[in-house]
Amino acid sequence: MITEELFKHLVDLAALELETDESQYLLGQMNNQITAINELEQIPLDDDVPPARHGVPFPAEISPTLREDKVDVYPNVEALLNQVPSSEDRYIIVPDIPHTELK
Amino acid sequence: MTQYESIIGLETHIQLNTQSKIFCSCKADSWLDAPNSNICPVCTGLPGVLPVLNRKAVEKAMLLASAMQAEIQPVSFFDRKNYFYPDLPKGYQISQYDMPLARGGFIDLPIPDSTGQNTTSYTRRIGITKLHLEEDAGKTKNIGGERQIDFNRCGVPLVEMVTGPDLRTAEEAAHYLFRLRQLLRWIDISEGDMEKGHLRCDANVSIRPVGVDYLNPKTEIKNVNSIDAVRDAISKEIERQIRETEAGQKIEAWTLEWDEDRGILKKMRSKETEADYRYFREPDLLALRIDDAWQNEVVSIQPELPLQRRQRFMNAYQLPEYDADILTSEKKLSDFFETATKAYPGDSKKISNWIMNDLLRILKDRNMQIDQMQLQPADLVEIITMVENGLINTSTGKSLIEKVEDSHQRPSEIVRSENLTRVSDESAIISACKEVLAENPTEVASYKAGKPTLMGWFVGQVMRKTKGKTDPEKAKEIFETLLH
Amino acid sequence: MGICDLPAHQIAKMVRLREISAVEVLDASLDRIQQVDGRSGTLNPGEITNDDKQKVHAFISITTDLARAQAKAVDQKLAAGEDVGELAGVPVSIKDIFCVQGTHSTAASRILADFISPYTASPVNRLEAAGAVIMGKVNLDEFTYGSSNESSAFQPAPRNPWNTNHVPGGSSGGSAASVASGEVALSLGTDTAGSIRQPASFCGVVGLKPTYGRVSRYGLIAFASSLDCPGPIARNVRDAAMMLKIIAGADPHDSTAATHPIDDYLVSIEKNIKGKRIGLSPDYFRITYPDPVSGSFQQQAVTHEIEQPVRHAAEVLSDLGAEIIEDIPMPNTRHGIPAFFVISRVEAASNLHRYDGVKYGYRTPIQTDDLRLMYRRTRGEAFGLQPKLRILMGMYVSAAQYSEQYYMRALKVRSLIRQDFHEAFNPTGKYRLDALLTPTTPTPAFEMGAVYGDSVMMQYADQLTVPANHAGIPAISLPGGISSTGLPLGIQLLGPDFSESTLLSIAYAYESATSGESWRSSRPKVLS
Repeated sequence: MITEELFKHLVDLAALELETDESQYLLGQMNNQITAINELEQIPLDDDVPPARHGVPFPAEISPTLREDKVDVYPNVEALLNQVPSSEDRYIIVPDIPHTELK
Repeated sequence: MTQYESIIGLETHIQLNTQSKIFCSCKADSWLDAPNSNICPVCTGLPGVLPVLNRKAVEKAMLLASAMQAEIQPVSFFDRKNYFYPDLPKGYQISQYDMPLARGGFIDLPIPDSTGQNTTSYTRRIGITKLHLEEDAGKTKNIGGERQIDFNRCGVPLVEMVTGPDLRTAEEAAHYLFRLRQLLRWIDISEGDMEKGHLRCDANVSIRPVGVDYLNPKTEIKNVNSIDAVRDAISKEIERQIRETEAGQKIEAWTLEWDEDRGILKKMRSKETEADYRYFREPDLLALRIDDAWQNEVVSIQPELPLQRRQRFMNAYQLPEYDADILTSEKKLSDFFETATKAYPGDSKKISNWIMNDLLRILKDRNMQIDQMQLQPADLVEIITMVENGLINTSTGKSLIEKVEDSHQRPSEIVRSENLTRVSDESAIISACKEVLAENPTEVASYKAGKPTLMGWFVGQVMRKTKGKTDPEKAKEIFETLLH
Repeated sequence: MGICDLPAHQIAKMVRLREISAVEVLDASLDRIQQVDGRSGTLNPGEITNDDKQKVHAFISITTDLARAQAKAVDQKLAAGEDVGELAGVPVSIKDIFCVQGTHSTAASRILADFISPYTASPVNRLEAAGAVIMGKVNLDEFTYGSSNESSAFQPAPRNPWNTNHVPGGSSGGSAASVASGEVALSLGTDTAGSIRQPASFCGVVGLKPTYGRVSRYGLIAFASSLDCPGPIARNVRDAAMMLKIIAGADPHDSTAATHPIDDYLVSIEKNIKGKRIGLSPDYFRITYPDPVSGSFQQQAVTHEIEQPVRHAAEVLSDLGAEIIEDIPMPNTRHGIPAFFVISRVEAASNLHRYDGVKYGYRTPIQTDDLRLMYRRTRGEAFGLQPKLRILMGMYVSAAQYSEQYYMRALKVRSLIRQDFHEAFNPTGKYRLDALLTPTTPTPAFEMGAVYGDSVMMQYADQLTVPANHAGIPAISLPGGISSTGLPLGIQLLGPDFSESTLLSIAYAYESATSGESWRSSRPKVLS
C-alpha cells in the first residue's frame, strides 16, 4: 500500500503539483495497480533467469555499428530556439534555484 | 586538542577531445561559439530523439582505462540517471552505473617535498574505483535571480573517474589533478584545460581523529575547477569540519558548491543529497561490447606513460629528478629530449640544460609548442656540438636557436652564411680591445680609479665590435693585461 | 465505393499509370474527412454535441497545405517521367506521436500542444520519400497511455466508425479509425502493448506490430522505449506488407534499429502456406484479471464470440494445407500485464522527465522565482491524469528500495514470456510453430466511458497483445468477423523474431480465402 506520506514524496520526486481530487484518484489507482503487480512476487523465478532489457536479444550480426566521429552540423538551430518559452540573447531563461551560503 | 586527518576522494569529469559529441554529430568544442549554436534535436532532448554512440569516445575512454591499469570490461551498459536540472535537457543523463566500461586501476602518485625541486618525498597509491563514459550537461549561469542556460556543452563526451578515499591532504588532491591533467594530454584524449572545463572535479571530504579507522559522514564539494581551487576548497572545508566538530556540531552529508570568484562554499537549499536517481538500463542503446581485437587495436597505440618515462629518464640518462620531471611534463618535449640525447654522444644532462634553460624560455616567450618549432632535435645537437668543438662560442650557440626559428635555416648554414665562427686569432682580438680602450678614455680612467665592474662593459664593447664572435673570457684576459 | 475505399496499392498503381492524379486522390480524401470526421480534437472543445457523437474525430491536425504540396509534387514528377515511389499519391495519416517537421507534434497532450517539430521521424521520412501524401496527424491516448483514446487532451476523442458510441481502441485509435472510415488508405501507428493491434481489431482493419528493431523509432515520442514499435495500419494485408517494406530497416539515428535484411514482403505474401505449423494455445482463450472489488485474481474464458473467429481461421488455414497444433502451453501469458505495469512505467516516467517547461512546449504562465515550483506547476497543469499516474507509478517501482522487488523481477518475467515463445517457435523443439493464432482482444470495442478511469481494467484489455511486446516478436491483427452487436472482431498471428514475411503470407492466404464470406461485406456505420 502506498501511504499518503509516500505518495507526497513520490509527487515531489516527480516534480508535480496536484489538485486534491487528482491526488485522490491517483493514489487510489496506484494502489489498485500495486495489487496487480504484486502478482509478480508469486511467480517462481530461478536464479538463472536473466533480466531481459529488450525482448529481441540483438546479437552482434544484427546490431548496428557505432557512429564514426564526424561532425555534421544541424542546419535548423533557429527552429530549435524558436520553441523555447523564454530566451534572451540565445540563452534559455529559467527561474533561479534558491541556495544559502556557508560561513 | 584532537589531531585530525582528512579523507579525500575525487570524482573527476574529463571531457574527451573528440570532434563530435558522444551521442550526436554536433561539434563537441564550443569554446569560441555563441551560446546554443552547436545543438541539434538529439542533444537538446527533443521529443522522439535517440542516442547513437560515438566510437572514438569509447576508444579514448579505453586509452585512459589502460593508462590507469584498469580492467576494460568486455560488456558494459549505459544507464539512465534520472534527475531534474535545467542544464539536463532529457531529465536524465545517459551514464554507466553498475556495469561501467572499466573497473579497478590505480596511479602511484609521487608527492614532492617542500624544497620546490620536485624531489619525491613519498609515493601515494590512489585507487580508481570506477571509470565510465557519460554525456556532459549544459551550462547554467546565475544572472540577477534568473538562470541562463546554454546547451552547447550537452552531449560532450565525458569520462567520469572516481578515486577511492585515498587522498590525505588538499596538497595530494592538487597533485593528483596535476598528474591526471598531464596524463590526459600525454595520451591525447583531452585537452585537460581546467579553465575551459575540460577537466572538472568534485571532492568528497571528511575528517576523523588520527588513529581511528572508521569513516565519518562526508560532504561533496561540487564545481572545483582549477588545481588551486581544489587546494583552496578542500582546505577550507577541512577547516570548517574541524571547527564544527570541535564546537560539538555533527557534520552532515551536504552537497556544497565552490564559488571560485569569492572563495566561499555554498550549500544548496534543496534536498539534493537525498536524490534517488532511479538508475535503469538505457533502452535506447545496446550493450557496449569490446572484444579483444578492438581492445588490442586501440591499446596498441598507447605511448609510454609520463611517470614511467620520468623514471626511465632518471635511470637511463642519469638525469636529476627535477630535470626528468620537467622534461616529461609534456610528451612532445620528452620526445624531443630523447631524440636529441640519442643523437648526442656526450652527457645527456647537457641536452637537458639547453632545453630547460634556453628552449623552454624561447617557447614561453614565443608562446609556442615544441612541435611548432623549426628547431629539430638534430639541430640542437648540432649547435651543442659546434660549441663544444670551439667552432662557435656559447652565446652564439644560444642565439642560433632563435635564428633557426626566424630564418628556417639549419644552424650550420646560418653559421656559414653569417660568418659566425669564433674569432680565435688573438691579434685580431687584441686590436679590437685596443680600439675599445682608445675610444673610451673616460671609462678607462674610471676603471683605473677603482671601478672594476666596468670590465664587463669593456668586454661587451668588444663583443659588439666582433659581432659576438669573440670568446668573452679571452677578451677579459687581454683587457686585464692592457689595463694593468 | 469511391477512390477512398480502394486499397493503397491500387491507388498507387492508378496514380502511377496516370489514371487518376494524386491531387484528385487528395481531394477525395479531404471530402471523406469532411463527410465523416467532424471537428478535430482541440484543448478547449466546449460541449460535446449530439452531432459530435456521430462523427469519427480521428484527426488532431489536418495538414492540407503539406498534403497538397506533396500530391502536386507527385503529379509533377509523373508528368516529367520521374520515379514517384511505391506509395505515389496514397493518402496516409500519422499518429500524432511522431514528429513531422513543421507540424504540431502533440502526443495528444497539453504539454506539447504548441510544439512544432523541427525534424521528421525516420519512418515518416521514408513514407514521404515513397510518394505518400501526409493528410495529417491523428489522435491517440495522451502520450499513447491508454486503450481507448478517451485520455487524449484533444477532444472530441476519436470514435469507432462502426458505432460511434464505442471507442476505436487505442492508443492508435485515430489511426485505425481514419483507415477504417476511408479517410486515408494507410496510417502509421505505434504498438507498446497492443496499441496497433487492439484498435485495428476494434475498427476491423489490419494492424502489424513488427519485430522490435525492425522499424526505426527515431522521431517516435517515446512511451516505453524497450517496447515501442512503429508499424502499419491498413485495410488489407497487401497494403500492410507494402507499407512495412517502406518503413522497415536500419537507421543511423536509431541504435536499436536492426541491420537484419528486409524481405520483399510483397513477394512473401504470395507464398504458399502448405505445411506451415500454426498453433493454438488455451492460454490465449482465457484472461486473468484482478477483481475490481476484492482484488483477487479471476480467471475467465473468453466468450464464444471472441473464440469463434479464431477457430474458424484455423479451419480455413487447415483447408489451405497448414497444420494446426492445439494445446500449445503459453503459461506466462497472464504475467504480461503485471510485468508491463512495471517496465513501461519506469521507462515512461523517465521519458516524461524532459517535459519541464524549459526548452519547448508548455510552461506555466504563473511567474515564480523558484525553478522547482516552475517545474511542478508546468507539469501539474499540462499533464493529464494518465501521464501523471504513469510517472508516479514509475517513480514508485523504480525507487532504490523497490526496484529489485518490482523492476528487476519484471525484467526476469519478460525473459519467461520470451521463453514461452521460444519453446513454441524453436525449429528443433517440440512444437516447431511458424505462427501462433489467437484472438487479438478479450472483447470487441467497448462503449465510451465504460472502462475509462479504471486504469487497471483498461490495461487488462491488452492481455493478449502485450506478450509480443515483451518478447519483441512480430504480431499482426486481422479482421476475423463481426460481433452480434455489429462490431468487428480480430484475430492475431504471432511469430518468431523477424518472421514478418511468414506472418504476412499466412494472413494474406487467410484474407484471400475468406474474401467471399458474408461478414466481409459489412461496412462501418459512418459510411452507410
